[in-house]
Amino acid sequence: MGREVSESCVDSLLTEIVSTYNNRFYANKPELAARRIEAIGYQVGHQLSERYTMERPRFSDHLEAIKFICKDFWSELFKKQIDNLKTNHRGTFVLQDNRFRWLSRISTDPSVENTESQDPSAAAESKASLATMHVYFPCGIIRGALSNLGIPCAVSADISNLPACSFVVRIKA
Amino acid sequence: MIACVAVVGHQNNPLYIQSFTEADDALKLHHIVHCSLDVVDERVNNPKKSGPTLNETFLGLLYPTENYKVYGYLTNTKVKFILVTTDLDVRDADVRNVSVTISFKC
Repeated sequence: MGREVSESCVDSLLTEIVSTYNNRFYANKPELAARRIEAIGYQVGHQLSERYTMERPRFSDHLEAIKFICKDFWSELFKKQIDNLKTNHRGTFVLQDNRFRWLSRISTDPSVENTESQDPSAAAESKASLATMHVYFPCGIIRGALSNLGIPCAVSADISNLPACSFVVRIKA
Repeated sequence: MIACVAVVGHQNNPLYIQSFTEADDALKLHHIVHCSLDVVDERVNNPKKSGPTLNETFLGLLYPTENYKVYGYLTNTKVKFILVTTDLDVRDADVRNVSVTISFKC
């Protein structure tokens, strides 16, 4: 569309958003911080979908809109498309990205952990909780984009194997 | 001569109306735009009647009144652009270009 932003700036901004909301604004209330971050993502997704659907013909159904998110929307945001799309044909879609750009820099090495975790399950939990904070923003973006296209939904993310990330979209009937 | 341009949001709420005539007929233009919203909804919800143009953003001539012609353009996010023009021999392509330009500038 004309103006460009350096990608490292975007990465730094997102990391800083998560860290500020968790440590300063809502210091002991991670659920509130998560909702705020998701709301920011909702606004961003809302406006981005308006911008990216300008020229295209209208979508005939939900599947077309989800495919738009998987292909054009994702390419504009992350320079690649969603790798795998699954649906149960009853309103649930799973969008899988095998190398999610914003999570690709998070360490996945299980041996580098803080001293207090004794067993691997606790280590895995603390690592997962750190990463979950970072996916609220992209979940919000997807939810905002779909709401603007007339599809109210709930989006959650599954990060069991980084850097792959699956977004589960449940369309509200 | 375009009499009026209107932008209507996805819940049919008016976002912006600008009239380009010197006369003080803002209310009449409001009425015309309001009536045209029904026509837009009808076009969108009746795939049999609209035929091959179901997924088009530009809806074409919505309806002619005694002095004006009303054209509509619908985006993917259900934002509607309504153009009211007084030209008698306006071409579809021109109006389509105008609508696309308006949507680009937003």
